[in-house]
Amino acid sequence: MSTRLNPLLESRAVRIGLTLVAAIILLLFLFAPLVVVFGEALSKGLGAYLDALTEPDTLSSIWLTLVVAAICVPVNLVFGICAAWCVAKFDFRGKSLLTTIIDLPFSVSPVIAGLIYVLVFGLQGWLGPWLRDHGIHIIFALPGIVLATLFITFPFVARELIPLMEEQGTEAEEAAVSLGANGWQVFRRVTLPNVKWGLLYGVLLCNARAMGEFGAVSVVSGHIRGRTTTMPLQVEILYNEYNMVAAFAVASLLAMLALVTLAVKTFFEWRYAKELAA
Amino acid sequence: MMIDIRNVHKTFGGFPALSDVSLKIKEGELVALLGPSGSGKTSLLRILAGLEFPDSGQVLFDGGDATNVSVRDRRVGFVFQHYALFRHMTVFDNVAFGLTVRRGPGRLSKEEIGDRVRHLLEMVQLGGLAERYPSQLSGGQRQRVALARALAIQPKVLLLDEPFGALDARVRKELRRWLRNLHDELKITGVFVTHDQEEALDVADRVVVMNKGRIEQAGTPTQIYDSPATPFVYQFLGNVNSLECHIRDGVAQIGSLTLPASAYAGVQEAAGLAFVRPHDLLLSKMGEGAGAQAEVRHISILGPLVRVELLLGEQVLEAEISRQRHAELGLKIGQQVLIWPRQARFFLRDSWQGTSLLDPETPIDHAI
Repeated sequence: MSTRLNPLLESRAVRIGLTLVAAIILLLFLFAPLVVVFGEALSKGLGAYLDALTEPDTLSSIWLTLVVAAICVPVNLVFGICAAWCVAKFDFRGKSLLTTIIDLPFSVSPVIAGLIYVLVFGLQGWLGPWLRDHGIHIIFALPGIVLATLFITFPFVARELIPLMEEQGTEAEEAAVSLGANGWQVFRRVTLPNVKWGLLYGVLLCNARAMGEFGAVSVVSGHIRGRTTTMPLQVEILYNEYNMVAAFAVASLLAMLALVTLAVKTFFEWRYAKELAA
Repeated sequence: MMIDIRNVHKTFGGFPALSDVSLKIKEGELVALLGPSGSGKTSLLRILAGLEFPDSGQVLFDGGDATNVSVRDRRVGFVFQHYALFRHMTVFDNVAFGLTVRRGPGRLSKEEIGDRVRHLLEMVQLGGLAERYPSQLSGGQRQRVALARALAIQPKVLLLDEPFGALDARVRKELRRWLRNLHDELKITGVFVTHDQEEALDVADRVVVMNKGRIEQAGTPTQIYDSPATPFVYQFLGNVNSLECHIRDGVAQIGSLTLPASAYAGVQEAAGLAFVRPHDLLLSKMGEGAGAQAEVRHISILGPLVRVELLLGEQVLEAEISRQRHAELGLKIGQQVLIWPRQARFFLRDSWQGTSLLDPETPIDHAI
C-alpha cells in the first residue's frame, strides 16, 4: 500500500525518453558485453570452445574454483547467520565494532586483503618460517586462496540478513518462546524461515563472488598453472597469451554462473511469491 | 489462576518503568491495565508473561513464586500488539505451533493436534481459513488467530498487549464484545493492556489505572469512573473540568462560585483543584436559581447531547446538557447563564504534588 506517484502524471515524451535511456544503457553496458563474451568464445566453432574448456589446466582451474566456493560458502553461511542473529536480536557492548568489522572487506581493496595474508603467512611474513619448518603451505596453495576468498566474501550473507532481521524485530521469537518452543526450535521454525529468501540471496551473491574473485586470490595464488589458478586467474593467463578463444570460453562459464544465479533467484521469487508477500 | 504481584520494581536504563507495584488478580478475573504511554502498563504485562524480569519484587502464580520462571515454562498465553503471527506458516500451523513444539509426555498426536486446532479455529470463527497465510487475513482475523494460537497451549492466564490497538473503530468494538463473551465462556484469568479508557471500562471486570510506573487506582469500572482516587484518574477517565479553587475553613471558592468542602474544614487557606464532570454541570437562566454567572462561548451539538463551552471568570468549562434542556434555555453565544455543579470533588494542591498523589487518604468525596 505504498503511495506511489501515478506514472501517467509525467508527459508522454518524458516517459518514453526515460525508458529509452534506461534501455540503451542496459543494452550497451550489460547485455552487449555478455553477447561479446559468448561470441568470442564460440568464434572458432563449438569444437574449439569445448577443446579450450577441456584443456587440463583449465579443467583444474574449474575444479579449484568449485572447491574454494564449496568451502567458503558454507563457512560464510554459518558465520553470516550467527553474526546477523547476534547483531539483530541482541544488544551488547562492541556491537557497532562487530558491524564495522563485518563491513571491512567491502571497504578494503581485495589486493590489500591478499597482501595481508602474504604478510602473515608468506615466507618473509610473521608465521612464514614456522610454517615452512612444519611443512605447511598456505601462500601459493589452496589454503591461502580459501583464506583470501573467505575474507572477501565475509560480509555477503551477514549484510543481507542484518537489515532483514532487524526489521522483523523479536516479537515472533518472543511469541514462539511463550508458546513453549526452545532456542533451537525458535531458530529453526521461526527465525530461519523468516529470513530464508534473504539468506538464499546472500548465499547466491556469496557464491558468485567466491567463484569470481580475482584481486585477493591473484596475490596469494602464485599463478601456478594447473595447480593454483582459479577460473578468473586462468582467464587472465590465457588472455595474456593471446589465446582469445580459450580466455573467453572460461569467461563464458563465469558469465553463465552469473546468469544462473539470476535465474535461480528469479525462479524462487516467482515460485514463492505468495509466501514472500507474507 | 490467581496472580499476586508484590512490590515490583523495574528500571530500563535508569528510567523507572515500574516503582513498587503491587496488585492481586483473582481467579477468572479480566483485568485492564489502563494508562497513557510510558505509564508502565506494558512492562507490567511483560513481567507477568516472563518476557521481562523485575529488578526487585515478586510475581506469584497461585501462591507459588514465578518471578524467575522463564516465559517458556509459565504457560501464559501472550497476544502481541501486532499479533506477531508466523508469516511463513498457515493459520493452521500458527495455531498448532505451541502444540507441535511440545516435547516429552505432554506431546499430542497429529490427530489430537488437528482436532484441537480445528476446534479453536471454530471458536474464533475462522474455521474456513485454516490454509490461509497471515498476509491474506484482515486485521481482526489476524487478531483472532493470535488469540487462538495463545489459547492452544491451554494457558493458565491470558495476557493481551493492546489487543485492539491496531484495528479500526468498528472492528474494535465488535472484537471487544466478542473477547468479553469468550472470557465469560472460558473463565480464564485475563489481563490486557490498553490506553483506551472506553475499552477498559467496557470489557474489564476490574480496571487498574497506571501512571508513571505506579498504580493510581484499581477498582471496578464503576468505582473508577464514579469515584476516582486521584486527580490523574479523574482527568484520564472521561471528560472533566478541572478548576482552580481556594479552600478555606471547609468552603471552596471557584471564581464567584462558593461550594461546601466540609472535609477540608481544618484547612485554613489552601490552593486546590475542583473536578466537575461536564454532565454534572447544571445550567439555568439568569435569575432562575442559584449558581455563578458564566458566559456561553461556544455551542456544539453532538447527537443527543449539546456541549456548551463556558467562561467562568478566566477559566473555561465544558457542560453537557440534553437537546431538550438546550431548547428550554434557548442558549446563544455570548449569553450569560448560571452554572451549578451537581457534584464536585476537591484535591488540595500541596497534597497531590509529589508522591502523596497516591495516598488514598487524601481525596475526599463531596456530594453537593
